[in-house]
Amino acid sequence: MANHSSSTHSKFLQHHFVDAEQQFDSAKMGMWVFLVTEILFFGGLFAAYIVYRLWYPELFTLASEELNTLWGGVNTVVLIGSSLTVAMAIKSAQLNQKKNIAINLGITLALAAVFMVIKYFEWTHKFHLGIFPGEFYAFEGIDHPKANVFFSLYYLMTGLHGIHVVIGIGLMIWLLLRSMKGHFDSEYYTPVEITGLYWHLVDIIWIFLFPLFYLID
Amino acid sequence: MSGHHISSDKTLLGVAGALFILTVLTVGVHYVHIPDPWSIIVAMGIAIFKATLVALFFMNLYWDDRFNLMLFLASIAFFILLVGLTLLDTLFRTDVVPGF
Repeated sequence: MANHSSSTHSKFLQHHFVDAEQQFDSAKMGMWVFLVTEILFFGGLFAAYIVYRLWYPELFTLASEELNTLWGGVNTVVLIGSSLTVAMAIKSAQLNQKKNIAINLGITLALAAVFMVIKYFEWTHKFHLGIFPGEFYAFEGIDHPKANVFFSLYYLMTGLHGIHVVIGIGLMIWLLLRSMKGHFDSEYYTPVEITGLYWHLVDIIWIFLFPLFYLID
Repeated sequence: MSGHHISSDKTLLGVAGALFILTVLTVGVHYVHIPDPWSIIVAMGIAIFKATLVALFFMNLYWDDRFNLMLFLASIAFFILLVGLTLLDTLFRTDVVPGF
């Protein structure tokens, strides 16, 4: 270990890093590179949305009426709240408040679950009406020949986002278990930090999905 | 330029409070029904502002290594490129693609 200048010897420090600091910064930069791919992943769908909205503006105004602004708004507030608690969990780790890490992660997990429950009721309500994506569309309530196109985009975009929330729930459970084992403190909290970055990006995506689908005048 | 900036409760709660207020605002503006094209411009303006708050203060870009900010901005630049080049086609067609 001749070239190791680190004063801290976290048990989580990998041998191929000079010190914990370098390991942390590398992990964070790696996560940002991944988030770039995520933005462009969603970006393809946002591009499709923009193309179709410019082709059929009147369709988007009509079909948007089928979406419940209240529940969309509640979900927006829920996700923003969960972003806050993730940021609080990271801060708790930095301040060595181990109990608060678990508490904040627990609240985050609960809020993420609330988001998915609301999403479930929104989707099943639409299925009940016969609103399915693409060729399976069987709803008569919207007077527009391309109504299914709007809902294809709706299901794809909220669906891909929902998958990300579910993955986030899995990550939060993993972090919660590790935080209960006392793995995280001011010396080592990398998984909390980068899961937090992921979770905030999922929040940002929803911040755009909400007005684009629910708030069309 | 610190990878370990510790945000105060005041900062985090202030940002969250601003995000809640902006959410209420964007819903409120929706019910006012401002005329086209301004409704979408206002809605997107508020959304971009909210996203900026999240990126800067929750994702720590305000204090972080500038390289990570550059990555984030690069992804947005390439997204704009994607949309821009696509619209150069789709906005100037005589017929929308038949079938969909």
